Amino acid sequence: MTQAQSNKPLFIISGFMVIYALIASSGVLHPLMKYLHTAKAVDLQVSMGLICGGIGILGGIVNIVRKPGNTSFDRFVLQPLPGILLILLMAMAIRWYVEPLVKLFSHNLQPVLGFKIYKVLNLNYVILGLLAGVLITNTYGIPKFAAAGVKCARFVLKMGVIMLGARYSFAELAKLGTYSIFLVGTFVLGTVFLVLWLGNLFKQPKTMTGVLAAGMGVCGVSATVAVAPVVKAKSEEMAYTIGTILSFGIICMFVFPTVGHWAGMNPVQFGAWAGTGILNSAQVAASALAFNAVDIKTLKVAEIFNITRVLFLPIIVLVLAAWFGKETGKKLTFKEVVIDKFPIFIIGFLLLFAMSSMGLFSPPTHYKGKFIDYSYNERTQVTDKEWDVLNGAVQANAIKGLNEEQMAAVKDLVAQRQLAGNYESRGDKDLFQKQGEARMFQLETILAAAKGGTLHLEKNVKAAIHHAIKQVHKKSKTVTTLTDCMIWFFAFGLIGLGMQITKKAIFQAGGWPLAIGIISGVTKATLSFFVVLWLVKDVVLK
Amino acid sequence: MSEKKVTPESENTDKNTGEELEERALSVFSSERNEDMTALVLSLLTTLIVLIFTKWM
Repeated sequence: MTQAQSNKPLFIISGFMVIYALIASSGVLHPLMKYLHTAKAVDLQVSMGLICGGIGILGGIVNIVRKPGNTSFDRFVLQPLPGILLILLMAMAIRWYVEPLVKLFSHNLQPVLGFKIYKVLNLNYVILGLLAGVLITNTYGIPKFAAAGVKCARFVLKMGVIMLGARYSFAELAKLGTYSIFLVGTFVLGTVFLVLWLGNLFKQPKTMTGVLAAGMGVCGVSATVAVAPVVKAKSEEMAYTIGTILSFGIICMFVFPTVGHWAGMNPVQFGAWAGTGILNSAQVAASALAFNAVDIKTLKVAEIFNITRVLFLPIIVLVLAAWFGKETGKKLTFKEVVIDKFPIFIIGFLLLFAMSSMGLFSPPTHYKGKFIDYSYNERTQVTDKEWDVLNGAVQANAIKGLNEEQMAAVKDLVAQRQLAGNYESRGDKDLFQKQGEARMFQLETILAAAKGGTLHLEKNVKAAIHHAIKQVHKKSKTVTTLTDCMIWFFAFGLIGLGMQITKKAIFQAGGWPLAIGIISGVTKATLSFFVVLWLVKDVVLK
Repeated sequence: MSEKKVTPESENTDKNTGEELEERALSVFSSERNEDMTALVLSLLTTLIVLIFTKWM
């Protein structure tokens, strides 16, 4: 193949990206983006298109003027570049067009079907990316120019796992207390050992069993990616594990809320059960909201139990490294497991988790970049119009049915124009924070009572209180951007992973991994149901 | 766009000499360690760039 011919796909993809960026920046696509709810990402679309397209064109020019060789620059940059750009283009199409379209279609189909199909089947970028990759490989085949780029998939997935560490902080973990951490840890390790035992019983390959154990014990994509190199799992085994976990989660999303109501679980108990028994975080959230959309405690408890599981990832990696070494006939020493076999990229995950816990990205108490800030700030105040509404209602004694504490919280909101602690205690951060939390709790109970119909509130008063609570909820730009990077790394990696999976490989895996996944998942859900009912009372969070 | 298509199977036919080789055939890196180190360095670099633009500037 001549140099010009081999460069053709690179120039075509890069040119397409640049042209798309120019069209997007001209505003022609704005109505379409608005329809798809992607208009907010227009700046990102333009900059990604220009930067990636520009790099592609530059790479093509370097390819023309420079004789191809076998240097690191050729192997790691020039050769994979066309494939990387092709996968990126697919990731962009999925994130900005396919995923929003699927959401819109399922939203429109809701009146007919009675449910949102994208939520039920979890048709987000993870599944769509994986499916797109599998589809291309098994229909058109991977174009030759993209073969080297596809080989970057696992590496980029590892970057996604490292970035995951930035979303969590030790403060969230500490909120749970040793008792609940012990509960989560027991179920994580119990499931891992159950899957390993079932794998042995059904005579499944060690590679498949190892990766499935991590996936079923901890959570979907990240645990699968983290453990795959330790147990030498193949791409199709990784994909199969992700598929099994998500399929099991779909069943859980329906069954959990029904069983929870039937058993008369309180919001905290259900949160603990869903966070322990369901694996995928999106499915945990959906199930918690389906159980109780009013009491935010259900969702919060479920999410905290869920993230605690993610933080067991390094321990599971160590356990599986030791197990795999033993199963393959190598008796590993403690040093070999902890130092030689421990994946370096998991150290990256721990490093980012440590940075996040130290407050480098956001205040250390953040959760997925969200935190509450009661400090005095103009941007935290309610608007003048809202203040007038609240002040008028308080002066006219128009808010009826509040208890003393609720009324005091509303009066303080009027006095300070924002949710905060006592002005005099502003020097003592902890006290100031506690006073602010107490006032927010009172305001939240007012809104919950209004929503439940036990209290009548005028629409604009309700809106003003709601806005006051919203104003103290801040979002860290750093964590949001790092999360975006993680999403892109996962999107890229999963498309590439899908491209490494052939029909033959999927059929070779058979139905046993799915059966093992379901048996272990049902066992965990059943046991955790009884344990939660027995041990978890109203308060699990400090 | 391309005249010849490859699948992981066709690409791997001559690489079935060992599990390690098969594993490496799916990666651009010659060893797991190199792959992990590069992922770690690039992630830290990304974090630094994000910190510079979102927090320190």
